[in-house]
Amino acid sequence: MAEAQRADLTTEERARFQSEALPLLDSLYGGALRMTRNPADAEDLVQETMLRAYRSFDRFEAGTNLKAWLFRIMTNAYINTYRKKQREPKKVSSDEVEDFDLYQELKDHDPQWEMTPENLVLNSLVDSDIIEAIDDLPEQFRLAVVLSDIEGFSYAEMAEIMDVPLGTVMSRLHRGRKALQKRLWEIARDRGIVRGDRKE
Amino acid sequence: MKQKCLEVLEQVYLFLDGEGLSEVQRLEIEAHLEECGPCFERYGFYEVSLQITHRLQGTTPCPDGLKTKISRLLEQA
Repeated sequence: MAEAQRADLTTEERARFQSEALPLLDSLYGGALRMTRNPADAEDLVQETMLRAYRSFDRFEAGTNLKAWLFRIMTNAYINTYRKKQREPKKVSSDEVEDFDLYQELKDHDPQWEMTPENLVLNSLVDSDIIEAIDDLPEQFRLAVVLSDIEGFSYAEMAEIMDVPLGTVMSRLHRGRKALQKRLWEIARDRGIVRGDRKE
Repeated sequence: MKQKCLEVLEQVYLFLDGEGLSEVQRLEIEAHLEECGPCFERYGFYEVSLQITHRLQGTTPCPDGLKTKISRLLEQA
């Protein structure tokens, strides 16, 4: 864990950190949990993030996006400390997901498929299914989907957080969503929500 | 699929994300979705799939024990 000198903050800065950063712990923990896929590591990551953030809070520009700033610190901490420990999920490969489209798959799978709430495979999946699918994504896809589609960051904020160009953000997000759809489809098939074979 | 539909399909996620498109481009996409049933349905599907992922926000709150621990650590930091 990072050793450091006492944070060099004014009383006002300390108070501001407490009141503004602590309410973001739920978001941070949620993000950490999807990054590490392990509650114990997620707790360590959040703790380390908050300490680093606190110690450098005098460098945070008031009025800018604090949540994005914290996620940037957390992503860096994750890459430096936890990423080496992570097993890369084998269930989804990074290539060959680009062509997959769940909507098209559902239509092709059953010529009589209509988009009604009952037929919407997605509605039959529970939160833990979605989480399982997200956790099965390769890390770069997973991070993009989590930052955009769960936490609601803009592309520009994501570029800051992930420290990559805007084009890379858009590419990872687009491919990540495709990969997610494909994984959701497989889970739905495994659960028997859709049949494994195509109907004639 | 028609050419216009293909073009709209390529931009539909940008449209849903509210990013990377000019006002003119957005209006063109809206106009197409209003007149093209298949594209509108597909758009609706993508919208639902994003909503379902977004629904996860806030479902894994920070454990109280961790919040307390962090508060205490910050006081000492």
